[in-house]
This record gives sequence, structure tokens and C-alpha cells, in this order.
Amino acid sequence: MQATQDIGRNAAALQRGGRPAAEEAIIDVNRVRAGTKLGFLGPAVFALAAIGLAPLIFAIWTSLYNYNLTKLANMRFIGLGNYAAVFTDPVFWQAMGRTFTMLVIALPVQIALGMGIALLLHQPGLGFLKTLARLSLVIPMATTYAVVGLLGQVMFNLKYGVVNQLLGFIGIDAVNWLGVPAYAFATIIFWDIWQWTPFCALVFLAGLTTVPMEIEEAARLETKSWWTVLRHIQLPFLVPGLTAVLILRTADTLKQFDMVFTMTRGGPGSSTELISLLIQRIGFRAFDQGLASAQAVVLLVITIVLSRLYIRIFYREV
Amino acid sequence: MRDRTTSTPSLAAQVLLLAAIIVFCLFPFYWMVLTSLKSQLVALQTPPAWIFDVTFSNYTEVLFDNNVGRSLVNSLIIAVVTTAFALLLGAPAAYALARFEFRGKKELWFWFITNRMVSPIVLALPFFLIVRSFGMLDTHIVLILIYLTFNLPIVIWICTDQFRSIPREIDEAAVLEGASQWRIFRSLCLPLAAPGLAVSAIFSFIFSWNELMYALVLTRNQAKTAPAMAVSFMEGYSLPYGKIMATSTLIVVPVIIFALIASKQLVRGLTMGAVK
Amino acid sequence: MTIRSTLTALAASAAMSLALAPAGASAWSLEEAAKPYAGTTVDVVFLLRPGYEAAKQMLPEFEEKTGITVNITEMPYENALGEQVRDFVAGGDLDIALIDLVWIGNFAENGWIVPADKFINDPQLADPDLDLDDFFPLVLNAFGAWDGTVYGLPFDNYSGLLFYNRCMLEEAGFDGPPETWTELKDVYGPALTKDGKYAFALQSKRNETQSADSFARVLWPFGGSFLDENFRSNLLSEESQAGLKFRQELMQYMPEGIVAYDHAETVNALAQGDVAMITEWSSFYPTLANPQTSAIVDCLGVAPEPAGPAGRKPALGGFSLAVAAQADENEQAAAWLFIQWITSKENAKRYLDLGGVPARQSVYQMEGVAEEHPFVPALVESWQEGVPEFRPRFAEWPQITEIVQEWGTKMMLGEVSTEEGAREIGERMEAVLEEAGYYSGNKPLIQ
Repeated sequence: MQATQDIGRNAAALQRGGRPAAEEAIIDVNRVRAGTKLGFLGPAVFALAAIGLAPLIFAIWTSLYNYNLTKLANMRFIGLGNYAAVFTDPVFWQAMGRTFTMLVIALPVQIALGMGIALLLHQPGLGFLKTLARLSLVIPMATTYAVVGLLGQVMFNLKYGVVNQLLGFIGIDAVNWLGVPAYAFATIIFWDIWQWTPFCALVFLAGLTTVPMEIEEAARLETKSWWTVLRHIQLPFLVPGLTAVLILRTADTLKQFDMVFTMTRGGPGSSTELISLLIQRIGFRAFDQGLASAQAVVLLVITIVLSRLYIRIFYREV
Repeated sequence: MRDRTTSTPSLAAQVLLLAAIIVFCLFPFYWMVLTSLKSQLVALQTPPAWIFDVTFSNYTEVLFDNNVGRSLVNSLIIAVVTTAFALLLGAPAAYALARFEFRGKKELWFWFITNRMVSPIVLALPFFLIVRSFGMLDTHIVLILIYLTFNLPIVIWICTDQFRSIPREIDEAAVLEGASQWRIFRSLCLPLAAPGLAVSAIFSFIFSWNELMYALVLTRNQAKTAPAMAVSFMEGYSLPYGKIMATSTLIVVPVIIFALIASKQLVRGLTMGAVK
Repeated sequence: MTIRSTLTALAASAAMSLALAPAGASAWSLEEAAKPYAGTTVDVVFLLRPGYEAAKQMLPEFEEKTGITVNITEMPYENALGEQVRDFVAGGDLDIALIDLVWIGNFAENGWIVPADKFINDPQLADPDLDLDDFFPLVLNAFGAWDGTVYGLPFDNYSGLLFYNRCMLEEAGFDGPPETWTELKDVYGPALTKDGKYAFALQSKRNETQSADSFARVLWPFGGSFLDENFRSNLLSEESQAGLKFRQELMQYMPEGIVAYDHAETVNALAQGDVAMITEWSSFYPTLANPQTSAIVDCLGVAPEPAGPAGRKPALGGFSLAVAAQADENEQAAAWLFIQWITSKENAKRYLDLGGVPARQSVYQMEGVAEEHPFVPALVESWQEGVPEFRPRFAEWPQITEIVQEWGTKMMLGEVSTEEGAREIGERMEAVLEEAGYYSGNKPLIQ
């Protein structure tokens, strides 16, 4: 679980990383030969370029063609035709909308709950129970995402699911979690919260432990309000972790595929068809690789713009 | 919600909240294991059974009839090798980003990290077409290489920070003694960066072990990984919940044990790294 | 029917070539025929369904007789098309194509499968007892043939049947199942929907189930169809709309959330006694008749699907096996021997007993078969006539079915009216067909 501390620390690095580390450099810049630098960086750059960049260029090329796997004979250049189709297709934008809706609902809840859990675990006392809780928090985030979805399918099933049984114990009628569009969408959000709240909690807990004891104790002598302590003393130390959570969760929501695919396959109807599921369906079920590539390129552009935006915002002085 | 002005919730409330957190985190896991021990008839019972005749037939079936064993081995091979590659390529790059100055460094760092953000579906389509033209579909090496697209960024992200935290006085002294950059990196900095390497290795391993989409698109038989295997039991024709949960348990238990054990070792590693 | 006559001609030519062959040919045996191919391995995709289980149990006998190894990759139906298309495009190692009837146009037009007459006309390979005429003509025509050419032999065969809970029907005062869809909705529906039980369940999940089991099922009996004779959308026609509106009305007698029901949920709803009737594939009979998986074994009834104003047009589905063009000559020969053997007259009874459903007419005429397998009479009746293009089988179907699935479910959820949905499907479907060249005369109008 301590692993997450590192993510927190890396968000801090992120903030520094934007600025040239010149002032930090002690090794004389001029004395490191270009060849040496290339030796260090070359292999990684080459590998990522070959594996990450080449397919991307290929995808852009494919997106300019009418390219259907089952009709390779009809393959031909159509310029921006696929992009025109993407931009005018409400199905694409609905899937995009669903993805962002999921993000803006799930992320704040994960942050708020994670913060609450971290603060609770940060309280002194009840050592054993808290260690147990900390270890429990590792389990959801380590669980294979596809398995989380399969498990959701089993647990939220209208008839055989344990969730409805448990609700029955407290007198609530069975809910058709995966059969009614609005509920299914709520269920995947809930399930995302289940898996990733622990992650947020561990990142924040790691942040809280970096607050110097003296400062925290001094503050507690002055005020009884936990809110004041959080806002003025602890929060600055939590910002690196928060940054990491924001960046990683945003990226992962845009990438979200496994859990939803295994739980609902995008259904019922299109109610849980997130953007990655849509592209997968077009590319590998309708075999329209040209259109799917165009959709993927648009998604990529959105991802890059968002990442830039985040990094720019959080690079500023805190 | 708690009153804004009280400083802490009462002890009883704390115990209750902690218990709730533990149950919340563990219950689905418990349910998965429980379901994996149910026969098909019990698994489809309404309401679901909590006490029943335990059967291990789901496990024997998936392991011996459905080749889940081989897919677990595939997952292991792929995750270990890709993690090794990621460290091998990523650590020197991270060192360079932490220590050297050059033009476009910021852009390069950003490009590395962006790879982590890219949805696999963006690369899965073209990768499939490229790999098929090389006739390399359904091979381990293809997954090992493509997993580098998310593992290299993790290693670089974590290790760059780790190398920065190593006091430069050490390097400086070595430079004065005439040691080459490679020597400094290998003999001095790399051992000191062990905690960062370990953390990134663990993340790499977990992400690779859990990956689904590339495995689904790029493998069929020989190189099929465990998550792809679990998904292939999902069939609208029957609902083999017991089998699916048995496979799920086999996939999840190793990675959870790994994460729990690793988390303990990391405490030591991180405190070491924290003493700057 | 022209296809019928082609088939007969084929069979005749097969017989003739045999007659002209050297005298040794009369002593054709599988062992002899397979000798040159011993040690060959053929790769095939199987589904996780009863017919495939049956075939797997029969396989050792074939492998022992021939020395040919059949290498099976099992996968869910949902993945089978994608996997095979990718394998064929990539020049992979599949030697046999498993063809759902709606994929045959696609596979044939891409040249991924080999016409069967290549083997039928080869006296070394063709079993003199092949007897193509013994297959139900509708089934061979729909599952195995495209544009008058036979490619595959019917292997895993289904017809839609009405399964019902006799006890529930009797309790509500019905002597037997409904004859027509209208009767099912107007008479049986209200009488059987009460106390948390429902009269009917129609599997409608958004995948092939939505197009094949739900959408097409209400289209044809009411006289509707996907396309008119010019290949323009026929979904806004009065008949098609009548069918689609019927489905909307019928939903009040179905469990909530029916758009999340796939086969398994639907069959289980009947098996648990939660619904009184379902229309499902014949191959679910064993599941429903097995006390391990069904609580209504003693109440189970089977009948042909109800008829509509346009007659009984039951759902038609199933798989044929064909030789893949990418296989080399030896693999092709070995693949053919396996296909011919597993679908043969001789093996039909064993296949049936093991849980498969053969498409051989002769096996269903055998004494005692109808008693042993109570779904047989309804099945045979359903296969007498039907619509091969129940779902159009052309190469464009994989694209069109995605459209139908999406808007079909939206209709059911009430997100669009049946007219709006039909218009959306129509426009998108015509765009696909336009692109394919059907309207410019580049492509014959075959479905």
C-alpha cells in the first residue's frame, strides 16, 4: 500500500518536472557528451516510438481510408470522410458525453470519500483495526478490472445477485440494476467508486503522513475544528496526491473499457456504452477500421489536450 | 455527516466506520470466492445461497478442461518479461531526465507520460493490423512489447523522481574521480534508486497482469492471458457463474497476495528513499 | 426453387462422377480416403453450446479412424465472428470456417471459403453416401449455400420453437399453447401476467440476440421484412410497423428490463417458472428438460412458434461448416473429410442423442426418435418452410446488425418511436448498401 506514497511523491515531481531542472543540476552540463545522453535515452525513446508512435501514424493513415476488414477489396482513400462522419454522428458524442458524465460524478465522490477515509485512518488509536483497514484498501485497486466487471455482473444480477438480497434484508424491493438504462449507468459509476476510492484514500493517507507532527499538533491546540486543520494545515501537503489522482483517474476514465465491457457490454441499449466500448464495437464488430481509427484519433486529441491542461494548471505555484 | 466543529468522531463511531470500510472492500472478494465454490444449480439460485455444499469442480474444470492453467502461465511470462524490459529501458532514461540538461526535455518527458494516458483502443486497431502483416498474432512477444507503452511511462515517471532525490554530491565526487556517467549510473545511483525501481516494477507487473483489451485483440490460443480467458466464458447461452468466479479467483488471488507482500517490503524501501 | 435444383444437380453430378470413377471407388471408406492425410491437423472454432459438446465427444472416433487431428478453439458466440474474420484477413491457421447463416454472404464474397463441389466432385474424398438431398432443403439452402453455390454443410441447426409451461397454462384455463401471436398477446398475455409472473419473455439483449431473436421475429410473421425487392428499407411499411408495434405492446406481459435478457436469462426465467412462455432455439430443449437446470421438467411443453397474419415464419438460425480457402490442399481435404463425417447421415442419430441437432431428414423419420426427443415434431414442422433471408445473409449484415441492435433496443426502451427507429435503421442501412454498390447495379441483389 505504501506504493501509493510514491504516486503522491511523483505528483510533486510533476510540479517540478515542468521547470528545467537547471538550478538543480550539479553535474556540469557541458561535460556530459551528447552521445552519452543518447545512450541513456535512446533505447526508451526508440522503443516507445516504434511501439507507441508507429501504430498511431498508421491509425491516422487508416482513418483517411474507407477501410472495412470484411471488404478490403473496396478500400480507398476518402480524405476526411471518416472524420466528417465522427463529428456529425450523435452516437459518438453521446458515448463521449457518458464518459465525461461518469468522470464528473465518480471522481468527486472518490476524492471526498477517499479524503474522509484517509482522515479517519490518520487519527491516532485503534491501531490494529486501522492496519486491517489499510490492508483491505489494497484489495479493490489490485483486483483485475475485468474481474471487477464479472463480479459486478454476478452481484448486481436482478435474480441471483447478492446485492438485491441484502437490500431485501432491509426491506428494499429488488432493483433491476443491470436491466434498466439509468440504473445500469449508476451501477457502473458505483462500481468504479468501489474500486478506486481505496486508491484515493491511500494516496491521501500517504500525503497526511508527510505533514510534520509539530505543526499539526500546534494547530490542534489552537482550533477544535477539523475543517480548519484540514484546510490550512493538511491540504497543502495533500495537493501533490490530489494532482496525481486527478490526472490518473481522468486518463483511466477516458480509457475505461474492461470493467464496463465485462459487466454490461455497453447495455442495456447504449446506456453504458463509453467511448472505448463504442470504438471497440465499430472496429471489431462492424469491422469498420477506418471510422474506428478516426474516432480513436479524436479521442487521442481530447486526451492530450486534457493532459496538457491539467499539467499546465498544476505546474503553477500551489 | 459529522459536525464541523467537533474535532474527532467518537471511538464507537470510528470502530463502526472502520468496520464498514473493511466490509465494503472485502465483501465482493468474499462473494467471488464463495460463488466459485458453488455448483451451477446453486449459483443460479434465487435468493443466492450463503451456506451450501462446497464443490471444487469449477476449479478442476477450468484448470484441466479449459486451459486456464496455461493462460495463467502466459500472464506470468508476459508480465515478468515486460516489467524487466520496462526497467531496462526506463531506468537509464529516467536517470537522464533527472540528471542531464538538453533541449526539448520537458516535451520529451511529457511525451513519455502521455503514453500512459492513451486509451488502448487507439493503439489496438493499428497494432492488430501491423502485427498481422508480420504474422505475429497470438505470440507472447507482441503483448510484451505493447505493454511497454504503459509500463515505460510508469517506470520513467516514478524513477525520474527517485533519481532526483539522490544527493548530487555523490555523483559530483565520482565525476571528480573520473568515473564515467555509466559507471555512476550503474554502480552508484542504481542501487540507491532500488526503492523506486521496486515500486515501478510492482506497478508494471500489476498493470500487465490485469490488462484485457490488447490481450483480447491480439491473442487467441497460444498466448491468451488469464483475463482474456475469464471473459471468454461469458456466453449468452448459459450463465456459468461458478466457472467464471473460479477463474476470476485464480487470476486475482496471486496479484492480491503480491500486492500485499510487496506493500510491506515497500515500507522499508520508501523510508530509505525518504531520508534525503 | 433454383437453388433447390442446383443442389439436386450437384448431387447428381456427384453421383455421376462416382459412377465414372474406377471400380475401386465403390469401396469408398473413410479410412482409405484419409490415408494420405494422416497426421494432418485441422483448426476449427467451436462455440460453448450443446451441439459442439456432442461433436467433441464423437471426435475421438474420427481421429482414430483417420489419423487426422482436429484442433478446436472454443469461444463464446459473441467473439466467433470477429476471431474468424481476423484469422482469415490475417491468413491465420483456421482450416474450417464455422458459419452462422448470416455470415455466409460475407465469407463467400471474400473468398474465404471453398465451394463444396470441389470435394463433392472428387471421388477420392466424396462419401458416396453424402446424399445432400437428405438435408432439409431450407436448412442446407439457408445455412450452407450462397448465390446458388453450396459451401458448407449444416452442422449446428436451430429453429425457433415455442417452449411453454403447461402447468401454468392449464391453471389459467388453457388447453394448449397459442396458435397465433395475436392470441398470445391478447388472450394469454393478460391471463398469465400476475403475481410477479409474466406471460412471455423475448430475449432482446443488444447483440445478435436483439436482431435475430427479437427484431426479426416480429417482422416476418406480420408480413414485414428488412428490405423490399429493390433493396430499399421496408421497415416503414405498414406490415413491418405492425410487427414492431406488436412487440412494443407485448412488452407489458414481459419481465421488466427485457432488453438485458440474453438466451440464458430467458431460458432460466422459464426454467424457474417465472414466465409461462418463451420462443427460443430448439437447442435449448435439453437445458429445459434437465432437472439439474430446470424446475419445470414435468410441465415443459414444446410447439412451433405462433403464426402471424402472414403465416408461421419461425426464427431460423444455425451453423454450417465449410472448408477454409486459406488451408493448403492437404488441410482442405482433411477438413472436408471431417465436415462430411460429422454431418453425415450415418452419424446423425448419435449426434442427436448426444445433444446435437442434425439437419438430416432421415434421422427424424426413424422410429422412436420423436418420443425420445419430444421437440422433434415441432422442429420438423418449422423446417418445412421458412425464410432463408430471415436476416439478410449478405456481406453487409455484420454492419447492419449493429444498426438494428442499437435502434431496435432504443425502440423497446421507448427512447424512439417505432417509426423514428425504423427511419434511422433504414437510412443507415441504405447508406451501407449504397456503399456496397447494390444501388448502382454493381452487385446483384442477393440476400
